[in-house]
Amino acid sequence: MVRVTQVLEAHVLSEGDWIAASEICQLCRLDLDAVLELAQLGVMSSRERVPGEWQVPATALPRLRVVGRLMRDLGVNVSGAALAVELLEAQRELEVRLRRLERLVADY
Amino acid sequence: MEFQDYYKILGLERSANADQIKTAYRRLARKYHPDVSKEPDAEARFKEMQEAYEVLRDPEKRAAYDQLGSEWKSGQQFHPPPDWGSGFEFSGRPAGGGRAGRRRAGASAGGGTFAEEDFSDFFSSLFGGGSPFAGATGRAGGRDHHARVDITLEEAYRGTSRTLELKRPEVKPDGTVELHSHTVRVTIPAGVTEGQLVRLAGQGEPATGGGSAGDLYLEVHILPDRSFTLENRDVTLTFPVAPWEAALGASVTVPTLGGAVEMRIPPGAQSGQKLRLRGRGLPGQPPGDQYVQLKVVLPRADSAEAKAIYEQMRTKLNFDPRASGAR
Repeated sequence: MVRVTQVLEAHVLSEGDWIAASEICQLCRLDLDAVLELAQLGVMSSRERVPGEWQVPATALPRLRVVGRLMRDLGVNVSGAALAVELLEAQRELEVRLRRLERLVADY
Repeated sequence: MEFQDYYKILGLERSANADQIKTAYRRLARKYHPDVSKEPDAEARFKEMQEAYEVLRDPEKRAAYDQLGSEWKSGQQFHPPPDWGSGFEFSGRPAGGGRAGRRRAGASAGGGTFAEEDFSDFFSSLFGGGSPFAGATGRAGGRDHHARVDITLEEAYRGTSRTLELKRPEVKPDGTVELHSHTVRVTIPAGVTEGQLVRLAGQGEPATGGGSAGDLYLEVHILPDRSFTLENRDVTLTFPVAPWEAALGASVTVPTLGGAVEMRIPPGAQSGQKLRLRGRGLPGQPPGDQYVQLKVVLPRADSAEAKAIYEQMRTKLNFDPRASGAR
């Protein structure tokens, strides 16, 4: 029997929620320069609420975590990881479409 | 516990130099990295490789590992020798209490919650807590504040809860660090979509120096459903109908995530046609829709009566499905 000590309400992060770039750095194990370079490369948008305090959309977090892992584990640089993550996402999208079409064909 | 042949895992000779070790790891990492690989056992293989690289890239650990001898084979039963680690000088921090290794998971739970696992027991017994190597690893102690939660489509529609075991480091009076776990129940609201993040305020790594604790992020994944396919907040259901229901129109009972509803099929409907049930997808602002894709199923001509009906249709309907505009 699991003893639950606390009940927590989860806050769903959606379009319009922003996370401090410093927090992103900690979560994705990226340095700030890499996060800002990823924004410049168009991997995600960014905004500077007050000078020096950057934020990025919360919805970019899963993507940035993949970037962080690719950089650490495969030794690729920022632009290489940015390219890889975009290609991986395009590949996943095509796979989803393929599965949908296969299911459609199987239904007939 | 079972012996791990780190050289074999990385495909190396025992005489490999540092560059060869790095190259072998990088080459295999590119093949088995869980973000990239399609191999079914990619995650397990990648974890093995990381463990092997963690030992072989570190001259101290590698020298100690090599002292075990070359006679051991992967999978053989193994216990560390009683004098394990003696005669070495170690860099890095002093040994910490508890089971060390490289704990990265900030949360783990049963019931489909993803958590990164520790290294093997073999690694922990040789290089983890209590060993002379504990704390010497450059990556020890790094904690993710991120976990994955798998939920069903129905749970996404209705909202759900999950029990998570959160681990927190606690510094003991002697300066060593122990992980303490506590269990929380997390309520996930209705209407979460695939890949969406939920934030648990204050459940991340505790602050050092009086600040507020970090947050824990859960990434929600919706498991494939047998009946419905999901795209953003919209769901699609393939719905079988009889030819006369499609041709003449009919009122039918259709399952939706919120329960069965009555739906009118317009006369002249065709197989593959999609009908929309507005607002019957996942909740949200605005809520998603449910698409009902009709699939006309033909009755078998397996009786004299059924064959007669088909014959009658052939002679009386003057229908050519391959003629332009027939569909």
